[in-house]
Amino acid sequence: MSLTEARPADAEPPGEPSTSRPAWRRAPIFPILLIWIVLTALLVAFALVVPARLMGAAASPTMREIETTFTSFSLAAAPVAALVWAILLYSLVAWRYRGGGRPTDPGPPVRGNNRVQVVWVVVSTALCLFLLIWGLIVIQPSTSEASSTQAPLVVDVTGQQWVWNFEYPAAPGAQSDELYLPVNQRVLFRVTSKDVVHSFWITQMGVKVDANPGATTTISVTPDRLGTFDIRCAELCGLYHSYMQTHVHVVRAEEFRSWLATAASQAPTGEVPSPSPSGTATS
Amino acid sequence: MSATTVETPDTSPAAPTPEMGGFIRRLNAVTGVVLGLVLAVVAWQVSSRLLPQPEELSHNHHDDAVMIITFSVWAIGFLIGIGAFVGPVRWLLGRDLTEADEEFLAGKDQGVARYFRFTTDHKVVGIQYLVLTMVLFGVGGLLAMLIRTNLIRPGSPFLNPTEYNAIVGLHGIIMIIATIVMVTGPFGNFIVPIMIGARDMAFPRLNALSFWLLFSAVPVLLAAFPLGGIATGWSAYAPLSDQSPLGMDAFLVTIVIFAVSSGVAGANMTTTVVRMRARGMSWTRTPIFVFGTTTSVALGLVAFPMFMVAMILLAMDRGLGATFYVASGGGSPWLYANLFWLMGHPEVYVILLPAFAALLEITPVFTRKPLFSFTAAVVGIAGIVGLSLFVWAHHMYVAGWAPALNGPFMVTTEMISVPTGLLILVLLGTLWRGVVWTRLPVLAVYFVLWNFIIGGVTGIYLSDVPVDQAEHGSMFVTAHFHYTLMGGALTATMGAVAFWFPKMTARMLDERVGKIGFWTAQIGFNITFLGMFAVGLAGQPRRVADPSSTFAAGNLVSSLGAYVIGIGMLIFLYAIVHSWRNGEPAPGNPWGGKTLEWQVPTPVPLENFAVPPVVTSDFYSYGEPPETPAPESVSVPRPADAAAPGERPLEGSAS
Amino acid sequence: MTAAATHVVVHDSPEVVWRRQRLGVLLLIVADVAFVLSLVFAYLYLRGLDTEGGWLPKDGPQPAGAGLGWLIAAVMATSWLCYRWAESSARAGRRELVVLGVLAAVVLVVADLALQIYQMVTAGFVVADGSYESAFMALTGYHVVHLTLTFLLGVGIWNRARLGLVDADTSHLRLVGFWWTWVVLSAVLTAAVTSLTASPHAGS
Ligand code: HEA
Ligand code: HEA
Ligand code: CUA
Ligand SMILES: [Cu+2]
Repeated sequence: MSLTEARPADAEPPGEPSTSRPAWRRAPIFPILLIWIVLTALLVAFALVVPARLMGAAASPTMREIETTFTSFSLAAAPVAALVWAILLYSLVAWRYRGGGRPTDPGPPVRGNNRVQVVWVVVSTALCLFLLIWGLIVIQPSTSEASSTQAPLVVDVTGQQWVWNFEYPAAPGAQSDELYLPVNQRVLFRVTSKDVVHSFWITQMGVKVDANPGATTTISVTPDRLGTFDIRCAELCGLYHSYMQTHVHVVRAEEFRSWLATAASQAPTGEVPSPSPSGTATS
Repeated sequence: MSATTVETPDTSPAAPTPEMGGFIRRLNAVTGVVLGLVLAVVAWQVSSRLLPQPEELSHNHHDDAVMIITFSVWAIGFLIGIGAFVGPVRWLLGRDLTEADEEFLAGKDQGVARYFRFTTDHKVVGIQYLVLTMVLFGVGGLLAMLIRTNLIRPGSPFLNPTEYNAIVGLHGIIMIIATIVMVTGPFGNFIVPIMIGARDMAFPRLNALSFWLLFSAVPVLLAAFPLGGIATGWSAYAPLSDQSPLGMDAFLVTIVIFAVSSGVAGANMTTTVVRMRARGMSWTRTPIFVFGTTTSVALGLVAFPMFMVAMILLAMDRGLGATFYVASGGGSPWLYANLFWLMGHPEVYVILLPAFAALLEITPVFTRKPLFSFTAAVVGIAGIVGLSLFVWAHHMYVAGWAPALNGPFMVTTEMISVPTGLLILVLLGTLWRGVVWTRLPVLAVYFVLWNFIIGGVTGIYLSDVPVDQAEHGSMFVTAHFHYTLMGGALTATMGAVAFWFPKMTARMLDERVGKIGFWTAQIGFNITFLGMFAVGLAGQPRRVADPSSTFAAGNLVSSLGAYVIGIGMLIFLYAIVHSWRNGEPAPGNPWGGKTLEWQVPTPVPLENFAVPPVVTSDFYSYGEPPETPAPESVSVPRPADAAAPGERPLEGSAS
Repeated sequence: MTAAATHVVVHDSPEVVWRRQRLGVLLLIVADVAFVLSLVFAYLYLRGLDTEGGWLPKDGPQPAGAGLGWLIAAVMATSWLCYRWAESSARAGRRELVVLGVLAAVVLVVADLALQIYQMVTAGFVVADGSYESAFMALTGYHVVHLTLTFLLGVGIWNRARLGLVDADTSHLRLVGFWWTWVVLSAVLTAAVTSLTASPHAGS
């Protein structure tokens, strides 16, 4: 109410002359508000249901965090997008000039409106801050994880046109072209490349880091779901970039130990160990 | 003899003056192409004989060096042949061009022939850019259709991986180059000088130079096709680009030429705007479109040299065996990535700013309202320009080059949404209660706002490090940037074309056909790229010739959508070409615009203004009584006492 | 109609033209600054990364001495002084001195070009030897490009001064002066950067 009373005093936009009706009830506010609410509801529903579904079942806390981030960003963006679209829709229908030829009457000569501008900037800055703080907090775990008591399992990942090669320093000589990981155990990947830049991507775990020639990058994750997931190369690396994909088998700790032992014993000539335990892994 | 030349101005050029200047009258694009080709063949033969043949065949630097030399010589030969160096040489000799020469160069009385010469008239350059841009879009669009045809179902029998990679890179870079010049080229050259009340650009010969440089780069770029394409994607990441086929040499020479071209154009246009505005046109009275184009080219002026360096180092790697990007020689791919994105991110705003500014110019005209807030628009543009130089590493979150900097770069990147949001606010505020005259130009505003919100918000997702860790290198990114580049910038430019078409071609655009094409393309666009978001989220990597069958449904939808875009774009193109040739003659000011370009006659005479204009107010005073100060201009236009009922008529007439 | 169609050549005042040209030239120089800084960045970044100890490995060629680099910068600076002298002579209206000054500046540019090429040829390594060598050659090679352009501009100005074109209108002389100044700065920058050789990580 105070809003309405204050109006005549300061230079409010024209077209909102003071009446006894509260501001939000007046045309065009009311219909736009309505469209806005409807659109927001639709977008919120979309945000809650669709994106996370498309991303497939998360196989690590990292991925779950990403899904939550995605959803919460979508929720935050929903009202903003809905507002813009609501005004667009309404203006296209209600303010459209229906006569033939060029409009003769001009529109109201509004030049700015401090309140609207301030509110817009403040709200978008606030939203921006929300996203920022959220993002900065979410990047934290990777460092806090590093200080966790459990020593990580180290895997050396080497990209090479157009295959991935995995080595397990814990069992010297053990290497494979499909990745095997024990469930619920933190893994540290040390990633490098023999030729061009590749990018090591475990889709369902939300893990991605470039494999650069001449440098080693690291990333860590704790797989927490049993099963077989996709590893893809996410950086164009030449002819068969499309086919530079393989699988990761997340298995129970004891299965992993026995697999590692076999892999290490089969190692000598660098021949790819036949993935004998894969049957158990996918079971 | 002189009498005849005056009476038939279209056919014969002005009589050559007895002095040496007669020489430039015989040069044109044909002599340019001929000389360029001849010199290129000579350079090719000579360099392939003289350069040392490599001992080991693993890195054949010889062929790369030959290619680079050949392409560069072509460009230089072409420029000599078209007469680009006549001015500098005459300067060197101390025999500057005479007034008659300058007039000849401005294309006086030359009819159509002036479009094929080193013509300095900014309006000619603008038209040249417009046509070249459309050709580039045509080629890029055709390649897009090939890409989508290949992805229509898994198994892709249509293109093999080599061809696919080559085509994706070419599509990317052709589109990027086309979008960089699509506003500042045609409209920056044709419209901006008139808008600011100038007779031409500050440096007309540099203006012609910038166009013909770009022109000379196009055949080089297209030569990449037979030479194995650009098999690295448009970002040409090293060291993959070190080992790519010869098409890469074509790519890097193209970029070098293009960078020079845009540097020259940037210095020229910035000077024009800063120094040549009409009397009375203070910065606050300068149209917003001028701000958009100027900041865009000025940003390009600092950004593109970095790209040029990235490419010159690549040329040294490829042609001379340098090891800038080769880890085994102490180089690093991160050097390339940093240089590339230092250019690459400002570049996206180089593309976006003028396109958005065109919308800001269009909206007041078609709502018959002043621009909602000129200050906010300028602040928005300035904020974007300032921030855009400090966000580049958001393309490299997962590169591992400096994980500690991911946080700070996330901060700068997300902050850009605030100034960008301001521009959106100004557009919305201008639409607010306007008398929306829904012609084609203003439809672009609607579609851009729809598309760009999607593109912008998905950009915000990507700017978040954890999300980018999941989505980097996936089709999600591809969908994001098509929403900003095509849904935002290109769509806005289609509006700009429709808006300025009558002024530039002196014909009215066929709106009915144009609108059909526009709507079709927009609907197809949203189908295509929403589908692409879906496969991106599901984990389809970019630049894969043969995506796994998990993504088949989404890819099918995208491909079908792409055909719809293609059809729509063809219809739009038909409207343009047909109207250009047969459209109704356009009046001087069909939209009732207030900016200066609408005040000069159509077709615009050489030197634009018979009398230099004097500006006494800004150009957005729609609905404001002349010379009223601010308090009245924001007052209610209807009688205040008739408030509630008074509101009805306007509303009623609209609903 | 005829009046409007008549082509009137309107001349802007020399001051207006000068301000315009100055801005244009400065902007072109800005672009070149961005270019040089990118090369400097390439040098320093590779040096800082020292990928696989590949920046100046012990068994590789020795780096070029810094002394010659500074000499090259110094010669360029002298050339610049000559050019400045020519400019002040022009203000004093002494055509012979302008011609002489510019000529001296151009000759020093040629000398600098010779020195620069000498430095590159006698460096004891080639571009392909490694990242240091590549980055060094890129920076010094770009100085060659700078010098060549400066030479052409200088010859043009010298010729124009000789023909008396600088007497009334010194604007071109001063415009080329801006470029000359930038080339000196970039020569100093190049000398300073290339004098940093060993990688900061080389010990570890
Ligand atoms: C502005 C830039 C732009 C535009 C408009 C487009 C338009 C299209 N793009 Fe493009 N695209 C890129 C820029 C652009 N693209 C870039 C940079 C890449 C990355 C490349 C890489 O990975 O390296 C890419 C990659 C890319 C891919 C990913 C390939 C892969 O990673 O495997 C795909 C796949 O579907 C695709 C599809 C399409 C389609 C269907 C269109 C359609 O919309 C095309 C429709 C046709 C046209 C738009 C042209 C016709 C219009 C006219 C002739 C008239 C208009 C004229 C004026 C307004 C002056 N594009
Ligand atoms: C015109 C082109 C254009 C534009 C405008 C943008 C705008 C933005 N882009 Fe985009 N981008 C590209 C073109 C563009 N981009 C291209 C070509 C690539 C890929 C290159 C390649 O790899 O081939 C890319 C890639 C890309 C990446 C890297 C992805 C990856 O490879 O991993 C990122 C990550 O941060 C990103 C972020 C952003 C952000 C934050 C914006 C922001 O500017 C968006 C700001 C706008 C809004 C947010 C909407 C409006 C604002 C409001 C309504 C206010 C309120 C809203 C909030 C507070 C959220 N972009
Ligand atoms: Cu490896 Cu793509
Ligand atoms: Cu970016």
